[in-house]
Amino acid sequence: MMEHLHTPFQSEFLAAFCVGGLVAAVCAVLSCFLVLRGWSLMGDAISHAVLPGIVLAYIAGIPLSLGAFGSGMLCAVATGWIKENSRIKEDTVMGVVFTGLFAFGLVLFSRTASDLHLDHILFGNILGLTPERIIETTAISIAVLAVVAVLRRDLLLVCFDPSHARAIGLRLRGLTYLLLVLLSLTIVAAMQAVGVILVIAALITPGATALLLTKRFDRMLLIALCSSVLSTWLGIYISVISNASPAGCIVLTQTLVFVVALLFAPSCGLLRRNRQVTS
Amino acid sequence: MNWLTPFQYDFLLTAMWTSALIGCVCGLLSGFVTLKGWSLMGDALSHAVVPGVTLAYLAGWPFSVGAFASGLLAAGAMAFVKVKTPVREDAVIGIVFTAFFALGLLLISIFPTRMNLKIIVFGNILGIAVEDILQLAIISVVCLTVIVLKWRDLMLFCFDSNHARALGLPVMWLHVLLLMLLSATAVAALQAVGACLVVAMLVIPGATAYLLTDRFGWMLIIGALFGTLTGFIGAYASYFIDGQTGGCIVTLQAALFVIALVFAPKHGLIATRRARA
Repeated sequence: MMEHLHTPFQSEFLAAFCVGGLVAAVCAVLSCFLVLRGWSLMGDAISHAVLPGIVLAYIAGIPLSLGAFGSGMLCAVATGWIKENSRIKEDTVMGVVFTGLFAFGLVLFSRTASDLHLDHILFGNILGLTPERIIETTAISIAVLAVVAVLRRDLLLVCFDPSHARAIGLRLRGLTYLLLVLLSLTIVAAMQAVGVILVIAALITPGATALLLTKRFDRMLLIALCSSVLSTWLGIYISVISNASPAGCIVLTQTLVFVVALLFAPSCGLLRRNRQVTS
Repeated sequence: MNWLTPFQYDFLLTAMWTSALIGCVCGLLSGFVTLKGWSLMGDALSHAVVPGVTLAYLAGWPFSVGAFASGLLAAGAMAFVKVKTPVREDAVIGIVFTAFFALGLLLISIFPTRMNLKIIVFGNILGIAVEDILQLAIISVVCLTVIVLKWRDLMLFCFDSNHARALGLPVMWLHVLLLMLLSATAVAALQAVGACLVVAMLVIPGATAYLLTDRFGWMLIIGALFGTLTGFIGAYASYFIDGQTGGCIVTLQAALFVIALVFAPKHGLIATRRARA
């Protein structure tokens, strides 16, 4: 029994813990911005839209991440452009663009004889990471974290109060696009390690959990980061000892943390006795 | 190449008319979805039905019962969390549907059934079982009937729920009814095109119709026709392209949307440019 519980800490799983933790950290940081900006669907959209880019990059023989990044950005830019130039609402435009791209990717994929595994793209393959993948994911994650750390005040203002940001002279358009670039990069880095579905959850749940627990942004970042990394580790651990889907376990652990925060958060928790007084 | 070849295979014929039927129901409903701004909801429900489908297969029930229950449970959870917390609606929807989908993944990985990941992602219109077709047909007919009977009330609710309430319509019930219709069609479409593309069937026909007409009645009719034809032709074309069926249907829909976006008589890009100039 003891031996069984130690299995997850063997060397082949250590990579999963490190990469999973790093990816969780980046996603958690971005999720705080997305939750404030109301861009949860954007993470969903971009993470599906990368598929045709991956397949085309594979056919052309260029790095898959380049293709993924290109088609993710295409989705974001096309959504913004169609929204501004037609009468269709933003959520509908997003739904049309990302599903169109994803469907095109599926057709391309089914037409191409490749050794890409669609399962791995969609559900991740965190327990079978190759060294190149680990290096790539690590490099992108650290770059995104660095940019966010330097520009977090500006980005916060852009998400929280765009008109104020414009009034004090920030370049609103540039920063919005920067956020989209960071988001696409994160999704590209994370997806190859943990899969599309998990990326979507990791880009929403930690930020929302932190939002329940604090009203200060720096604390929100910190809480999101800790809850995301810890629940990812716990999720991987559970999946290894119970031989269940890692992506499923990680997302459910994150959701569990959210539910706990929902029940016991100091100001708006459902089970707090002083709820009436404080709210 | 013989253009009639697909009609000689039973499974292709079945695929064509089933996707046409599903396309019709989804297209009809998509008018309401786009008007209400519920695209994310369609996406969410189509993912949220997965654990229900898996459990139903495990228990040996009709899959639609499980899917329906889990879709409604997800919708209820979203409504609850949204009311009780300061978190924005889009984030709440995201949290709930990813959690449900993850639960589905987990269940599938622990208890493998006939409903495997591949079917959930790709749909399984070419290998659909007879009892599944029966369920799809029942779901579609029921949804069509409800929409035909109630479309005016639903339209008023989607367009302006305050106004609908002032007129004395049971707004809450209409909300629930629309959610139920959405869950039911999501289940049907899951079989045809797979979870990730259901939202396309629920959004693209409505969005295209919205570009082509200003009247809601016409929007529903155009949406339904659009869904039916693309479902049929997409499945037909997938034989020649040798591509994945759901992907073909939705790619066709997206291509037609782009054409409408550019060339629509009144709201297309060319027309609006000309009007502005």
